[in-house]
Amino acid sequence: MLRTEPFDSVHLISMNGLPKRKDRFTENHIRFQAYGVKVGIEAEKQSHLKEIYSRLGRVFTGGLKPASESEIEYRFFVKRTRCGVYELYRNDEKTIEESDKEIFFDSVESQIRVTIAEFAREKVFLHAGVIGWKGRAIIIPATSYSGKTTLVAELAKKGALYYSDEYAILDADGNVEPFPKWLSLRGIIDDYTQLECSVESLGGVSGTETIPVKMILIARYDKKKKSPQKWRPKRLSGGQGMMEILPHTLPIRNKPEFVLKVLNKLVSRAIIVKTVRGEAKEFAETLLNFFEHNTDCNNP
Amino acid sequence: MNNSQQRPVARKEGLVIQEMRDEVLVFDTETNKAHCLNETAAFVWKSCNGTNSVADITRSFGNQSGKPVDENLVWLAIEQLNENNLLAENLQANFNGQSRREVIKKIGLAAVIALPIVSSLVAPTAALAVTCTGTQNSPCTGNNGNAGRCCGGNCCEGQAFNCRNNACG
Repeated sequence: MLRTEPFDSVHLISMNGLPKRKDRFTENHIRFQAYGVKVGIEAEKQSHLKEIYSRLGRVFTGGLKPASESEIEYRFFVKRTRCGVYELYRNDEKTIEESDKEIFFDSVESQIRVTIAEFAREKVFLHAGVIGWKGRAIIIPATSYSGKTTLVAELAKKGALYYSDEYAILDADGNVEPFPKWLSLRGIIDDYTQLECSVESLGGVSGTETIPVKMILIARYDKKKKSPQKWRPKRLSGGQGMMEILPHTLPIRNKPEFVLKVLNKLVSRAIIVKTVRGEAKEFAETLLNFFEHNTDCNNP
Repeated sequence: MNNSQQRPVARKEGLVIQEMRDEVLVFDTETNKAHCLNETAAFVWKSCNGTNSVADITRSFGNQSGKPVDENLVWLAIEQLNENNLLAENLQANFNGQSRREVIKKIGLAAVIALPIVSSLVAPTAALAVTCTGTQNSPCTGNNGNAGRCCGGNCCEGQAFNCRNNACG
């Protein structure tokens, strides 16, 4: 196994086999693997690679492993046209065309991340927030703009371990691994612009161990809703829970058999609850109380 | 052949089947649709082997549940299995002149057994399952529907690339 190295201070991917740090950008490509997916990125300009490195560093906080040229499965190529339009190609097919630099590089990072999530070996990526509490996880599958990150951040502030605000990564047994990317918080500048920050900057701590999932929360935010003192969410059966989770499951079309086996293990060991929730700050407390009393938190 | 003697056959090709405690999850790889069959629908579907008649399935379900079962309950399941392309051959449900609504009302009032339910959804592409940045009419990236990171059922389209509703190809 090759050693995984963390990102350095400027979020550059440090990889065995690549030129030493001072020479790292003399070549306009990088090759790496994440979750068994081998990715190559090429760019006409080194500055473009730096932009991508910087963003990947906030996502894959544990670093990446090197891959050789012959292993590459997914090739990305970044170029800028004479008209100033940025373009991304994946395996020779143009997938992004954008004139705004920030939006473009955010989208490139997103596409690389989605590719890894979709084709990861022996893992199932769900689009979900995840926290750990006393050795057990709550996962919160949800679409964007549903307040997922806000809720995860509030739970982290209350002492829950931060696992992810983006992906629940399930292993073959249905347990969840940490993916502690920087949190993408909205509502600071406006409702749409995301600000990236580490969980530590919010006073939280990241989880480091793979843990069993004991609760799946399907929650819709309604700002008018108040958290009741006694919260009685609707319980779902395993099948109903699967139907709620599937729309957030990245590799379902690619490897349905494996995905359904893993999700079956997941839903058979966790309680699945569906609710409308109010403000995250208030709801976080209610949720942790409910979790304590409805799962065997003290016996992982 | 009268209605009761028809012998439905469950479709197996192109399906990934996940048995659960009381339900069955079926993923259709041809349409990328997922179907959740509740206990009643699952029992009927699993009994559709081309040998069992509708009358046989009704009897067998009654024996298994220990309660009397109306044959129309089985037909309700078959109707939904048919609609969701989960039978190998098309089989039209016949409620002996009654409407579906009348049958559900009649069975629902009398039954202690859950009505058959097949719930379905289309599984998203990986790109649609993840974070989005664009709401309706906001700028987006990408030159094909799902790559534009649009939210809430919007897709990226047009020369100017905007997130638009019902634009998902």
